[in-house]
Amino acid sequence: MPLCVWCNRAISQTVTLTQLLSWGQFPVQEVCEACQERLTRITGSCCPQCGRQQRAATICHDCERWHDGVVNRALFQYDAGFKAYMQQYKFQGDYALRVVVQAALAQALQRTTYDVLVPVPVDAATRQDRGFNQVTGWLTGQPFFQVLEVVADHKERPQSAKTRAERLVTPQPFSLAPNACKLLHQRRVLLLDDVYTTGRTIRHAIDQINLSGAKAVTSLTLAR
Amino acid sequence: MDNDEQFFGRWVPSSRPPLEPLANREAIEQSRGSAQCTRCGHRLTVADQLPNGALYCRQCLQLGRLTTHHKLYTIPEPNQFPMMTESPLTWSGQLKPQQVVAATAIRELVATKRNQLLWAVTGAGKTEILYPALAWALQQGWRVAWASPRVDVCLELAPRLARAFAGVPQAVLHGKQEHSYTYRQLTICTTHQLLRFQAAFDWLIVDEVDAFPLTTSPMLQRAVKQAQKPSGSHIFLTATPGPHLQKLVAQRKIAVTYVPLRYHGYLLPQMKVHLCWQWRQRLLKGQLPGQLVRQLREYQRTGQRFLLFVPHIADLPPIAAALDQAGVVGGVTVHAADAERAEKVQAMRDGRCQFLVTTTILERGVTFPNVAVVILGGDDAVFSTAALVQIAGRAGRHAAHPRGEVTCYCQSQSRTIQQARAMINHLNRQGRQQGGQ
Ligand SMILES: [Zn+2]
Ligand SMILES: [Zn+2]
Ligand SMILES: [Zn+2]
Repeated sequence: MPLCVWCNRAISQTVTLTQLLSWGQFPVQEVCEACQERLTRITGSCCPQCGRQQRAATICHDCERWHDGVVNRALFQYDAGFKAYMQQYKFQGDYALRVVVQAALAQALQRTTYDVLVPVPVDAATRQDRGFNQVTGWLTGQPFFQVLEVVADHKERPQSAKTRAERLVTPQPFSLAPNACKLLHQRRVLLLDDVYTTGRTIRHAIDQINLSGAKAVTSLTLAR
Repeated sequence: MDNDEQFFGRWVPSSRPPLEPLANREAIEQSRGSAQCTRCGHRLTVADQLPNGALYCRQCLQLGRLTTHHKLYTIPEPNQFPMMTESPLTWSGQLKPQQVVAATAIRELVATKRNQLLWAVTGAGKTEILYPALAWALQQGWRVAWASPRVDVCLELAPRLARAFAGVPQAVLHGKQEHSYTYRQLTICTTHQLLRFQAAFDWLIVDEVDAFPLTTSPMLQRAVKQAQKPSGSHIFLTATPGPHLQKLVAQRKIAVTYVPLRYHGYLLPQMKVHLCWQWRQRLLKGQLPGQLVRQLREYQRTGQRFLLFVPHIADLPPIAAALDQAGVVGGVTVHAADAERAEKVQAMRDGRCQFLVTTTILERGVTFPNVAVVILGGDDAVFSTAALVQIAGRAGRHAAHPRGEVTCYCQSQSRTIQQARAMINHLNRQGRQQGGQ
């Protein structure tokens, strides 16, 4: 019996009649149902700017402060379940957990209209320590261009150690790669990041992309 | 080095070599195409490879990730603890006669450095039974660890040992703590934390060996073996030894001390079994077995508090609703991941709560005075033989209320139920020989 990649318990695979009659290969389930339920999908109405789950379809309280027309969509609520997931995947560095959200992301990317996918980068030292970029780890073959780079002396303290006020005034951490203008000129860019919290990071990324001559920029985060 | 102590008898990972040369080894050992974690023994596969090419160990990830880029550094345990002229035991309690017999046996065995097993029923007072041996070991200047599989048991144990051995500095180690490691003569830790140690302990107390399959889990077996000094020994504590331990006992490969009676000298309550057909299907219609409802109503009428064990977290809401419907009120549901678990358990302890409906999580370590125990679905696979015996031991855990009632409702008499009843009978036979009633 296959084991769940997250909780390590055996997965009792439920095979539907259609699958049984098709004689084909059943898709191998890697995450058990209980673990899938630990993450909450954002469904129904959300804030038209930041994409957070809410009943109203109007701009949320946090976004009123920005009021800059940024459009972000998110797949999961940034709740205790997603935090526990990120704790193990990103902070403990359990690369195997990338599969937990891969299917949801692949589906969302398929439904989104864009020309170029740009992941928000991780600085070199962190990537070296962690051994992977947590954002590109979620991709399953979708083409992307890493046209954003982290400014060398940017990282003095991790983002998570800063207060909200501090994060809102952080200086621009990103720069454009030399080939960025060529790749992005007149293209619709989709930025991809892990979590939208204050919205500061994604706006820094958007500002840089806008300098490249892109036609439009929107963003997608795994959680809000 | 600033902090040599953290290396004493431990493997400390670093991706940068320390200033002073120390004994070291690769965190992940690679040879001829295979790779193995040297901390937990897990065999790595290509699936454990990171995009930067390094391999990492998933099995001991919770102790901090080890990759092929890490080395582990150590300094041999120097045992910087003095002999004491007087016993460090500051406990003022009194052992019961049958506890004294067991305590003396263990104290004598520990001096011979034989590996041993304490087979004590739930409620025998095994912690206190170990005090004389632990006092003796500490007095010799031995370094000792007390390991339990569960964090909450460690957290409950640490203050008890701090009071019982007031002059002995202790370190408490588990995955959820913030503060850093300290080098102490007495370490209280989760069994997993033992993986960090190397030939550190003269005596190793391993609590609840049956709680996790220690005897079948190579990782935890390795942890015990690795953490214990070659000249040291260990004692396993259990209420319900599995087949492997029972075999070691039969082969006399491990010395055994037996405490078949609970500390008040009474036998374990035998489990009464009631068969109830298709209770789960009836629960879907909001109904509980009639006999169960009558029993619980009777408990409520007489003010008898109780624990109702059910197999799954998903069973809690419908059962709570059905109890409410049947007029059985004044209790709450609780499970392992319950955010208010601590408060609910405390409310039950304080008597502010009439009953708890719970999954197996409360089967160990948690004690309530004078409760009856009811199990619904005792034949479900989640209830092992050991779990059922432990649950039965929850009943009547108080000198003033030594006899508790234990009732098991099930669809059929499973093997596990039969074995649990047999084990209770076996223990009670031993207990009667020691004058239990
Ligand atoms: Zn799972
Ligand atoms: Zn918003
Ligand atoms: Zn390992």
